[in-house]
This record gives sequence, C-alpha cells and structure tokens, in this order.
Amino acid sequence: MDPLNDDMFRLVVEPIDAAALVRHVRAGEDGAVVTFDGCVRNQSHGRPTLYLDYEAYEPMALAKIREIGAEMHARFRIHRVAIVHRLGRLQIGETSIFIAVSAPHRPAAFDACRFAIDTLKRTVPIWKKEYFEDGAVWADGELPPAPVEAPAAKPAS
Amino acid sequence: MRVKVLFFGRLKEIVGRAEDFADLADGSRIEQLFAHYGARHPELARFRASLVASHNHEFAAWSTPLHAGDEVAFLPPVSGG
Repeated sequence: MDPLNDDMFRLVVEPIDAAALVRHVRAGEDGAVVTFDGCVRNQSHGRPTLYLDYEAYEPMALAKIREIGAEMHARFRIHRVAIVHRLGRLQIGETSIFIAVSAPHRPAAFDACRFAIDTLKRTVPIWKKEYFEDGAVWADGELPPAPVEAPAAKPAS
Repeated sequence: MRVKVLFFGRLKEIVGRAEDFADLADGSRIEQLFAHYGARHPELARFRASLVASHNHEFAAWSTPLHAGDEVAFLPPVSGG
C-alpha cells in the first residue's frame, strides 16, 4: 500500500482477489469505480492456447507501475488506484492483471483506467510466453520508447 | 569495471542465462556492453533493433555511460497485461 494516498501496486504469483481490490479503492466520497480485468484467452491467432507463463523484471516493473499510478493522479480527477499484475503460470480464464480506479465522477475513472492498461502494455517490463499443443512462443509485444540518444560529447574547451 | 547484466524473455533463452557480470573498460557505454554479448551470440546481435536497454531500472539510450556496480538489462518488446 502506498501510505500517501492508499493506492496499491503489486506483482503477485497467487490468484488476484478482484473483489478485495474494488473494496480497497472504494470510499464514501466516490461515485464510481471502474475496473479492468485482463484474463487469459483460450486461443492466439486461432491456435488453441494451453496456458501462459508471465515473467517480469520485477523491481523495474513495479517502479514503472508506480509511475503510471502517479501519472493517473496527475492527469485525472481520481481518488484511488489499485494495479495488480500476476506472474508465473496462468491457466485459461485466469486474471493476469486487475486495475481498479475510484473517482467522485465516472468520466475520470473510465479515462484513467484506460490510460493505465494502455500505458502498462507499452512501458512495463513484463513478458508472456504462450504454450500450445505443439510448442511455445513469446507473445508479440510493444517496444517501450527509449530515450533519445545523447548527443556526442563536445570536446573540452 | 564490473557491471551486472540481465536478460529477459527470448533474449534470456538466446544467451542461455538470466544474469551475468561483465568486465568492461572504463568509459564503456551500453552500446559496448551489448557488443560484448553480441559477439558471443550472433542471434542476440540480430535483435539490436527490436530491444531496449535499461540502466539502473530506467529505460536508457545506447550511448549511456556505465559505471562500476551499474545494473543493465536488455529488454525485448513487452507483452504484459
């Protein structure tokens, strides 16, 4: 838990308790809680999936998720955020990520939740490997934006 | 100087390990560190355009200078969520 504003950002291996996250973000001053439940699909490009393995660069992934939470507060009039991503082996239908956002009014909660999952998918170092009957592949992903290359050092004057 | 190096996803499979320590000349940059591994693993070198590097948990330019004790990771396209 983040002591400053009661946000919650975690990487876990156990199943995600979505109802507990909703309860965590919801308070008397809120008029809306919007959630995103990302779950393991039973096929990939028409190929039946058996299960997925998720791995993360854990300290960096958690830091990047915290940055997303801070950016959500900066951009949207929201109250609390919970973002929990599960790692390890996940079966079809299980929740891999759950996001809950509370706000006094629903537009900010919808917008912030969408921002959170879209940004996470582009910038947080987590990977999934998809297992099929006849093999396994690393899922196609998105390349995070790298900083612009530093200009060549100027000669000392 | 010695730096810690991490590989993830398919890069870990190409290199055959998740973690390593590399000894580099002072003044080396991430580019030189990657070349050090690319020379040993040509398949890794071919991924140069489709990976990003991080330096002490921040995405970093290839020209980032390294210092003893730094942690560098090579990250393939991310697929969380």
